[in-house]
Amino acid sequence: MAVETTTRAKLRWGLLDVLVIVFAMVPVLWIASLSFKTPATLTDGKFFPREWTLDNYKTIFDTDQFVRALINSIGIALVATLVAVVLGAMAAYAISRLDFPGKGLLVGVSLLIAMFPQVSLVSPLFEIERQLKIFDTWPGLILPYITFALPLAIYTLSAFFKQIPWDLEKAAKMDGATQAQAFRRVIAPLAAPGLFTTAILVFIFCWNDFLFAISLTSTERSRTVPAALSFFTGASQFEDPTGAICAAAVVITVPIILFVLFFQRRIVSGLTSGAVKG
Amino acid sequence: MADIVLDKVSKSFPDGTVAVQDVDLEIADGEFVILVGPSGCGKSTTLNMIAGLEDITSGELRIAGQRVNDKAPRDRDIAMVFQSYALYPNMTVRENMAFPLRLAKLDKETINAKVDEAAKVLELVPLLDRKPANLSGGQRQRVAMGRAIVRQPKAFLMDEPLSNLDAKLRVQMRTVVSRLQKQLGTTTVYVTHDQTEAMTLGDRVVIMRGGAVQQVGPPQELYDHPRNLFVAGFIGSPSMNFLHAAVQDGSLHTALGEVPLGDRVRRELEAADAPRELILGVRPEHFEDAELVDEDTRRRGLEFEAPVEIVESMGSDKYVYFTVEGERASAAELEELAADAGAGDFAGGGGNLVTRLSAESPVVEGQSRRVWFNLEKIHLFDPTNGRNLTLHEGRAAGALAD
Repeated sequence: MAVETTTRAKLRWGLLDVLVIVFAMVPVLWIASLSFKTPATLTDGKFFPREWTLDNYKTIFDTDQFVRALINSIGIALVATLVAVVLGAMAAYAISRLDFPGKGLLVGVSLLIAMFPQVSLVSPLFEIERQLKIFDTWPGLILPYITFALPLAIYTLSAFFKQIPWDLEKAAKMDGATQAQAFRRVIAPLAAPGLFTTAILVFIFCWNDFLFAISLTSTERSRTVPAALSFFTGASQFEDPTGAICAAAVVITVPIILFVLFFQRRIVSGLTSGAVKG
Repeated sequence: MADIVLDKVSKSFPDGTVAVQDVDLEIADGEFVILVGPSGCGKSTTLNMIAGLEDITSGELRIAGQRVNDKAPRDRDIAMVFQSYALYPNMTVRENMAFPLRLAKLDKETINAKVDEAAKVLELVPLLDRKPANLSGGQRQRVAMGRAIVRQPKAFLMDEPLSNLDAKLRVQMRTVVSRLQKQLGTTTVYVTHDQTEAMTLGDRVVIMRGGAVQQVGPPQELYDHPRNLFVAGFIGSPSMNFLHAAVQDGSLHTALGEVPLGDRVRRELEAADAPRELILGVRPEHFEDAELVDEDTRRRGLEFEAPVEIVESMGSDKYVYFTVEGERASAAELEELAADAGAGDFAGGGGNLVTRLSAESPVVEGQSRRVWFNLEKIHLFDPTNGRNLTLHEGRAAGALAD
């Protein structure tokens, strides 16, 4: 009886899982399939390409445009992630540990920033960046990315810090650590899963951004991949760029997948078990 | 190693609550002092102030003769064992114990030697490469102690280190702590809410209530000569019986009969502001089955008869619960003790009387029994301020003293 129920439950859950995966994966696989098609078969509506070709990939890596955009994307996203996580960690630590005047205000304002419609900031930012001469530069994108990623980082990280028993920090202090040592050697290693999770979220946010990338850049100097894709023309100006765009789309999902796979191993739950009475 | 002196140390929080009030305490070098009291009495705050984890609002704290009020915990050279153990989960047992030494920048060989030595003392050698998650509660507790002793600090602070262990292990670890402290001879301040731990472990016990020290002294002295109602009720298990008593014509009317008064107590009561109502306190072991008391002893006490409610035979003696009529003793201290015990009606709060009689007593549940109690060992308290009226120059002399 019990076995029957579990088998049936398994079946039900399995079906549900398959449904979700199909729903999520079909567009991605379609793009991948398009990227392997020749221009002639591009619009044949077949899921599996009849003729496989790598021409599209050759095309995008031959044009300087895409490679340059890829470098910009990686650089800008990494710098923004690093700064946002470090700043966010310090802010979140303070929020979770200290009771300082204006704490509620800080948390409220950061939430406000996260919810603020980004599109309404585009023109002011454009004007400001032109005045400051950082329009169409790396910092010109990194700064707004940090601004919008910080609330996210602070929220995720303060949740993680709150889980770490305060006694550990007291113990470190009693053992002779300074505040900085206690944070670096005891608290930060324990918050590592949180730090990596936050890093992934922030990186994906920066990597996927299109709005700022298209409005705050004007040349290849700082244009990121999502923006560059929209300027794609293919090998020659008269060619249909669909295949190339699809190839580029596939290429830019790869770093995200690598990023997640790389850090996933470090996101070990239950790292804090055994610290205090378990 | 060092002495610790608290000179009028107080702690108040920004919202105005006073957690600790004018605590004066001198802890000698090598002494084992217990801070005990119900939750919220300020004992942990006091310990944290000694540790440097909490600021001192006013007063002075001296360790080894040096004022340390403004020193960071790491500059005070004291080690602390936490109730939660606070082991670093990302480090092995060896790394946990080596952590304070590594922060002190000792060389690797010295660190290893010291860790091995401490591990040997606490029988942790086979566990050195394990992570805290793979240890039992008792083992974690020993690692926490190891981390404290490894760098030979001036003093140990222990914040309820045994209260997360189960009852049997707690008794075992109690002797471990006691032996370790004697072996190392390091000044130790130990916080607990358990009066049994306080009685068995310390050289001296400090009883706190509402942020103030009630009485300081060796465990036996606190037991025999409690300065006030709170100390009397807190120390001892089962706790002291408290009964309402009315003063009338030089004697006391109580539910146990007419208690005669000696000159000394009578003089106290003749003062103009003397209370007309008192609280009579008798410890369970100062009762005895009237049949088993010889003539000589009988004269020093008083007899009464009451119905037996429950008999608990402990083998060596019997705990007998009597029902006595009469008004309940009431005082703020008693209510606080009752609240701390988690019971709405405190066992000593009247109605029920707990006695400890000899095992030979043929007492039977449901029947009436004549019981004798020792008048030389009873205490009389002023319900308004809790003062022990039978105490003269720190010695309790009972009701009959001249």
